[in-house]
Amino acid sequence: MKRKMFSLIAIIMIAAMVLSACAKTTPEPEVPVEGAVDWSKVTPAKNIVFWHQHTGEAREAAMKTIVDGFNATNEYGITLTAEYAGGYGDIYTKMLALLNTPDVPDIVVGYQNQIATYQLADSMFDMNTVINDPVYGMPQADQDDFIPAFFQQDVYPLYDNQRLGLAPNRSMEVMYYNMDWLKELGYDAPPATPEEFREMTCKAAEQPFSGAKAEGSMGYQLSIDTSRFASWTYAFGGDIYDGTTNQYTLNSPAAVEAFKFLQGLFADGCARLVSENYGDQSDFGNGTLLFTVGSSSGLPFYTQAVDEGAAFDWSVAALPSTGTPKQDVYGASVSIPKSTPERELAAWIFIKYYTSPEIQKLWAEASGYFPVRQSVADMMGDYMTANPTYKASWDLLKYGWFEPAVPGYDFVRDEIEVVMAAVVDNPALDVQAEFDKLNEFGNKTLAEQLEQLNK
Amino acid sequence: MTEAVISVKPKKTGTTLHKLRTREQITGYLFVLPALIVILVFGLFPIGYSIYMSLFNWRVTKGAYVGGKNYLLIFGNWTNLLITLAGIALIVGAFWIWNNAFKSLSKGQTIAKVVAAVIMILGGVIFITGWGYMYDSGNQNFLNSLIVTLYYALGTVPAEVILGMILAFLLYQDIIGKDIFRMIYFLPYVTPSVTSAVVFQIIFSLRETSIANMIIGWFGISPQKWRFEPKPLLNLLGLDLSGFLAGPSLALISIMIYGIWSFVGYNTVIFLAGLGNIPKETYEAAEIDGATRSQQFRFITMPLLSPTTFYLVLIGFIGTFKAFNHIYVLRTPSAGDSVITTSLLIFDNFYKANQYGIATAQAIVLFVVILGLTLAQNKLIGERVFYG
Repeated sequence: MKRKMFSLIAIIMIAAMVLSACAKTTPEPEVPVEGAVDWSKVTPAKNIVFWHQHTGEAREAAMKTIVDGFNATNEYGITLTAEYAGGYGDIYTKMLALLNTPDVPDIVVGYQNQIATYQLADSMFDMNTVINDPVYGMPQADQDDFIPAFFQQDVYPLYDNQRLGLAPNRSMEVMYYNMDWLKELGYDAPPATPEEFREMTCKAAEQPFSGAKAEGSMGYQLSIDTSRFASWTYAFGGDIYDGTTNQYTLNSPAAVEAFKFLQGLFADGCARLVSENYGDQSDFGNGTLLFTVGSSSGLPFYTQAVDEGAAFDWSVAALPSTGTPKQDVYGASVSIPKSTPERELAAWIFIKYYTSPEIQKLWAEASGYFPVRQSVADMMGDYMTANPTYKASWDLLKYGWFEPAVPGYDFVRDEIEVVMAAVVDNPALDVQAEFDKLNEFGNKTLAEQLEQLNK
Repeated sequence: MTEAVISVKPKKTGTTLHKLRTREQITGYLFVLPALIVILVFGLFPIGYSIYMSLFNWRVTKGAYVGGKNYLLIFGNWTNLLITLAGIALIVGAFWIWNNAFKSLSKGQTIAKVVAAVIMILGGVIFITGWGYMYDSGNQNFLNSLIVTLYYALGTVPAEVILGMILAFLLYQDIIGKDIFRMIYFLPYVTPSVTSAVVFQIIFSLRETSIANMIIGWFGISPQKWRFEPKPLLNLLGLDLSGFLAGPSLALISIMIYGIWSFVGYNTVIFLAGLGNIPKETYEAAEIDGATRSQQFRFITMPLLSPTTFYLVLIGFIGTFKAFNHIYVLRTPSAGDSVITTSLLIFDNFYKANQYGIATAQAIVLFVVILGLTLAQNKLIGERVFYG
């Protein structure tokens, strides 16, 4: 029996060796490589699929309205099917298995670093080939209406400035604060500098909020997430990536200072880690947490948490900074995997529709995301009046800054999270030494990823 | 005429028999064909293709053929691997000598045991030396993940089996509502692991008021960080141990508790089936002979359940080495590498680092490790199984 099993394994291994020896070392795309397409001669495909990650009643309803509207009104008879394909991570893993096959969806949601990874296999459609097309392109006035930084975010210098996506929405890291509690502590505004932040958080840890609906009192809870790492580094005037040298700068003086600062807050008992998923949100809502930092897309959830919790006056502000604020802006874009010109064109037609002003207004108001066009923000006056916290975060957009859009960033993010957790947890840990190792790891990973470009 | 018939008849019978046998063979093959195709396509092909991928610098796209380089990244160099394997071979040899050698000599067994012990110590030293070399020059993350996986297996499987056996024995008695209890104990196994793991996130959260902290608080123990604690439990208890001897982190132990909770019910049900196969007369005879309940359990139940126990241990070890979902959900960045089992590491290398070639090489090594452990268990425990 054992002999048979070993024989079987041996056969498999030999077969694998033979297969590998016979194999070509260059990838063979299964779909035709695209040249310059004359779009006027292409008829859009009739049926296309859009993979997204949107859940929740409001977002699902808005997405359905958008898709139904598109299917009913587009002049080409295109029928788009929007499919929830899991979270960002699920979509990413599914896509990796499908790149350059006919089974890819026609439109896919993805963060810029994920799209950059897909493009290592030369598998994404360059929208530059159609965006200025006289028939199907986007008028220059519309292009100019996009907030420039958002519009530029999907152009990849790493890939000869190809446009591999278009932003339908964005959100931003903001600091949520309990205004009523701040007043009780003797302050009339959120902290503008790290020193003020330290003072307020430590005071809050000692003096609970009178209207709290639960036990406990804490100044700040840090959720272990790379976007928080980026936010605090930005707040101390640094960056986590140097676009000119294409190198991570995770050990920059700003990052080290930021985390020495946080390490001190933890050591003094003024801050602690978030204990479970969205635990900071529920503690904030219950009035037991003075500050928390998170995405502006969480505004509806914070509103609900406060309304159902301690019902206090609250708002959002920029993170306390050592100079001019710099806020981490992020958001997934919609991209088109390479398929056939007909499918690509139909997908592009939907993306144009999805980013048109009326649809953007509908989507932004339903989802709580920021719109990506200036004219849409102007149309949302009533909404902003009714939602002052949304308006407050929108006003911070001028400080927007982005995380790197490079392949392999997800892997580096994981390591950043491990190191930032270790540093705040252990006051004795040398932040500079830990971040030096982290930076070395990041750049090694990046170099390995970029090797694939140089093949 | 008659002669002619007689002379032809045996020939006809032979042909018919041959045809019948052929037809039977074909029918047999046709019956096994669907299963064979499924096993080939979904079982053997992926293994073969993984081996194939592991021989390339395969990332998002297939790169150059690199032969065994992806394996070398794990071991550092082939010599390290050979030293480690030599250590294992000596331990296996010592085991054989312990059981089989010098049987014909008087005092043969004593000699065999002394020789085996010496060889085993030597094998252990060589194994540890080889492992140390691999750790220095190979992939530390991978080797560390194997240790974490081993902790996880050793921390869960014996507990699952022992608790499962005890529960099965209790539920086998004539107690009121035993069917309901059976269902309750089986529920964790059928609950989707991702869902129940999220509940365990809350139970083992950092909060001082978390359920786990409340429970230990009843015994006067101060709140712990549970899933967020990378320090080994023994260190937390004040023992100054390091390396392998320090044992699993508290974070891993939290995950182990989930694993035990989840699989005890399954083991209980399987043990109940095993108990059902033990003849009642055996217990009656033992009772007449004056055996107590604990003696009955020790000398009848346990031996006659040994085939079931063997099966559960075998399946349990294989399962723990492949465990993924709940560990993925329960891990935290704060726990660092202390909860990264090999299957998680392979997943991260595959999907986050896009190192398909390296990840598949690691998967193949894990496959071989599981195979080796299964064979070892088969040898160590299989021979002690009592089949009646």
